[in-house]
Amino acid sequence: MLQFITHYHRDIGYLDSVKIALEGGCRWVQLRMKSTPVGEILPVAIEAQRLCKAAGATFIIDDHVELVKELHADGVHLGKNDMPIGEARRVLGSGFIIGGTANTFEDVERHYRAGADYIGCGPFRFTTTKTNLSPVLGLEGYGHIVEKMRERGIGLPIVAIGGITADDIPAILQTGIDGIALSGTILRAADPVEETRRLVALTEANAG
Amino acid sequence: MEVNINGKATQTTAGNLAELATEMGLPERGVAVAVDNKMVPRTEWTATSLCEGANIVIIKAAFGG
Repeated sequence: MLQFITHYHRDIGYLDSVKIALEGGCRWVQLRMKSTPVGEILPVAIEAQRLCKAAGATFIIDDHVELVKELHADGVHLGKNDMPIGEARRVLGSGFIIGGTANTFEDVERHYRAGADYIGCGPFRFTTTKTNLSPVLGLEGYGHIVEKMRERGIGLPIVAIGGITADDIPAILQTGIDGIALSGTILRAADPVEETRRLVALTEANAG
Repeated sequence: MEVNINGKATQTTAGNLAELATEMGLPERGVAVAVDNKMVPRTEWTATSLCEGANIVIIKAAFGG
């Protein structure tokens, strides 16, 4: 599973990046437009949702629970400083996917109890895409978290995030992580569509 | 047959993903599914056959544990 997360790019607009991801075969998109007023996100979200629907892709919006509800997007992703997961679940009910960011097993367990549907776990390594990040996890960190989840019977899908490149994918999935979320690796590629294809193929070839 | 759903061995009589969704009572919306790490759009669920030991990930809280 590969989740593409949009990110501000000087030359590639948000919608263009969504088109690139879909054309490259990615079927899970998170529209993330940090520091953008919700009024400006709305028209982009509507169009991104249309593109995802046409491609049969799952469409998640970062942070904006009310917008997700209004547009009937597939779900929302909540970071550490966004609305708590339990509160989002109360607002959205059961018909929406809720993802939560975790850095530790304790975060994972808390999100699980609060009713999250999946975990975005990271950062794998230091990244310039996000500021104010928690300490890096590396392969060892993921192995530790996956092991504890199994011990406690927490069968929540978990995707790795944070500075991941194609070369990292096989080893990350071998730790028992279910999927990969990334942004910069696609946007910075010389041929972003081809890079997406390669990344999708890599995640599928290394299924746990 | 036995398949793996979110890391747990699960018995099913479903021959394809759509049948599995019905069997598990998956909702009409707010759910994403991957088989052997490949995301499968809902429109392809019927055409997606399940094999013994398939690794299925269902992104939906009710099936998290």
